[in-house]
Amino acid sequence: MNSFENYNPISVFIYFMTVTVTAMICYNPVLILLSFFGSISFYITLNKAQKGKTHVFLFALILVSAAINPIFNHNGATVLFIMNNNPVTLEAFIYGVFLGIMIASVMYWFAVFSQIMTSDKLLYLFGRISPKTALLLSMTLRYIPLFSLQIKKVSASQKTLGIYTDESIPDKLRGGIRVFSVMVTWALENGIITADSMTARGYGIGKRTHFSPYRFKVRDFVLSAISLTLFTVSCVAVASGTTAFSFYPYMSQIPLSAFAFLSYFCYGIAVFIPTFIEIKEVIRWKYSESKI
Amino acid sequence: MEILRVENLNFTYSLSASETLRNISFSVEQGDFIGVCGATGSGKSTLLRMLKRELIPLGKAVGNTFYKNVPLEDLDAKTSACKIGFVMQRPEQQLVTDKVWHELAFGLENMALPSDTIRRRVSEMACYFGIESWFDKKVSELSGGQKQLLNLASVMVMQPDVLILDEPTAQLDPIAAADFISTVKKLNRELGLTVIIAEHRLEEVIPVCDKLLVLENGSILIFDETYKAVSDLRGKESILCAMPAAVRLFSRFDISTDCPVTVREGRRFLEENFSFNVKSLEREYYSHSSTPALEISDGYFRYRRELSDVLHGLDMTVYEGEIYCILGGNGSGKTTALSVCSGLNRLYSGKIKVFDKALSSYKGRELYQNCVALLPQDVQTVFLKNTVREELSDVNADFSTLPYDISPLLDMHPYDLSGGQQQLVALAKVLASKPRLLLLDEPTKGIDANAKLGIISILKKLKAEGMTIIIVTHDVEFAAMCADRCALFFRGSITSCDVPHRFFSENNFYTTAINRMTRHLFCGAVTVEDAYQLCLKNSKA
Repeated sequence: MNSFENYNPISVFIYFMTVTVTAMICYNPVLILLSFFGSISFYITLNKAQKGKTHVFLFALILVSAAINPIFNHNGATVLFIMNNNPVTLEAFIYGVFLGIMIASVMYWFAVFSQIMTSDKLLYLFGRISPKTALLLSMTLRYIPLFSLQIKKVSASQKTLGIYTDESIPDKLRGGIRVFSVMVTWALENGIITADSMTARGYGIGKRTHFSPYRFKVRDFVLSAISLTLFTVSCVAVASGTTAFSFYPYMSQIPLSAFAFLSYFCYGIAVFIPTFIEIKEVIRWKYSESKI
Repeated sequence: MEILRVENLNFTYSLSASETLRNISFSVEQGDFIGVCGATGSGKSTLLRMLKRELIPLGKAVGNTFYKNVPLEDLDAKTSACKIGFVMQRPEQQLVTDKVWHELAFGLENMALPSDTIRRRVSEMACYFGIESWFDKKVSELSGGQKQLLNLASVMVMQPDVLILDEPTAQLDPIAAADFISTVKKLNRELGLTVIIAEHRLEEVIPVCDKLLVLENGSILIFDETYKAVSDLRGKESILCAMPAAVRLFSRFDISTDCPVTVREGRRFLEENFSFNVKSLEREYYSHSSTPALEISDGYFRYRRELSDVLHGLDMTVYEGEIYCILGGNGSGKTTALSVCSGLNRLYSGKIKVFDKALSSYKGRELYQNCVALLPQDVQTVFLKNTVREELSDVNADFSTLPYDISPLLDMHPYDLSGGQQQLVALAKVLASKPRLLLLDEPTKGIDANAKLGIISILKKLKAEGMTIIIVTHDVEFAAMCADRCALFFRGSITSCDVPHRFFSENNFYTTAINRMTRHLFCGAVTVEDAYQLCLKNSKA
């Protein structure tokens, strides 16, 4: 399948960076809403009806933000009511809502990002910067499960030896220290074998390269180019103040100039790219299936 | 063409007084398949490491090793790393990276090869070794056999001319081990790869070797073609005990024919040299005591709710004072059954009684004092201290009451011991709680044939003292030699259970080499001793 996660990690990384950075720097309700809907639609195409908890959590986050901001922030001209001698304003409330939406959308983006960027894709990214760091990361990822499995085994055999109690908390603590200290020896001891296996395969004789099974194809170039172009448009728009929007003291008009529209349009395309790719793939698959 | 040559090699470890290798000289032709054998401590591993420059141990070496007439130390780094490949014993610890594809690429990355070359070589090797289906997996998800195959493949991507293997199958179950050896044989046959392999268990290895190099106390005892070498082993018990059953049986007699190596040749040897008037041995009828030590009835267990049953309607009764061996394939639930017996896991349905008392009614540590003890598969998990002495005093073990002597090992670090010695120390620690029911998980894994015989005699002594012993093992020869009853585990329950000679004679594949060799000639011969006794009664003279 040609789905979004199969694009080259570099393109995927660039895409996520441009989309989330725009959402975080724009302070414009339209762009924030676009980012929110784009991220949520991608999240749902990826996970379908599963992981409902994320939605509950992130919507609760928006509500909390909407509720808390007016309590602590008293800017804004439209006073709704007075609480503990402090004004609660409409502007602060709206700001809270949008702040919440912005944070939620960025969290949605990161949720799909971490789902797509598995450890070997991250390694691929790091490996291009420094092959040594990449190897270190890879070895660490290898050792963590090995270590935790060994800890479980050691604890189990300590239990069946029947000489150590684990009934009280100090006993458990002592048991933990005992296991930990032997794990250090174990790791050093086994590290020697790993080191032998590394030198036997020529580690340390000179500069090394970093291999990765990913290739940079035309479509990856296209995706990167599109996301960078669209990002440039939004950046120029934000920097020039075209999309500037202020909440305090009064909410300003939503910018509706031609250039502002262009930036909404560009960002709108950008945030829906992954959803579009996923849906296109499903349709293509259905179509080719009907031909079989 | 000669590819490796060793001339008058002597080696002394830096902290040792005596020489580990003495006057070693031999030469290896391209495409040879050489088996290196010898008892533990005879210098096998040291010799193999001397052939790989990167792994030469610290110490004083005299003499020379040549690769294609170039001394090892004069080879350039890349040739030395690539052309001589080395695979070690422990599959887990040799893996460097977290993903299968990365492990395959690791050596080539070190050679600073461009991505396209690495991609081509890695995919070619993955294809040759049948790794494609698990190419994207994490290495922690692989089985032991797959891990070792991956270690081999990631050495082979470097396109070596010589492959050195130091007990590569010691940690594998017999099926994975046979698979591994046949892959090595295939490499030797199809690519003309030169192979030098050291092993403890030689049943599978000897038949594929062209030549044998037998070491004794650091010097070469025999270096000859396999058939000639094995015929010269009469009387060398410490080396002979690791040999294939056919060789062991042959060496008991003074018959000057070619020494049989495989099951097929062994059968021919018997057919030609003996008559078959007496078919079976008279055996005492085995009767167990009437009080059960452990009873499981209709036991069900699974690790997580959404997974399937690991134990499925398990019924098992072990009587006091017997040695009960559980055999069966990987993943059949043998080890899980032990963990349930030892109270580490709980059945979700079914009853389990230990010494006529429900397991659940043992409170706290009561179960583990003078009652049940488990020796896990990975004995290293039992060790917590820096010396064997501390290890034993930590559990108040009185090593004078042990049925074996471990006093020479007292001041050593447990991790520095050989596999067999580690097993003995771990057993001593487990015995400290004076258990009446001893559970052993794969006690013969990674130990040599001598140590195995030692363990058998220890278990028999413990049994004589009244201990009940349950052993989970893959090692059919071991089970045939020490069990009172054997049980076959299949898909979470016991499908058959009998005394060894009947149990193994009824199995066709899951049986000892001797039984496969003699099943059409004798009835119920399962050990070399059985076959020898029957042969004595059937001699032609």
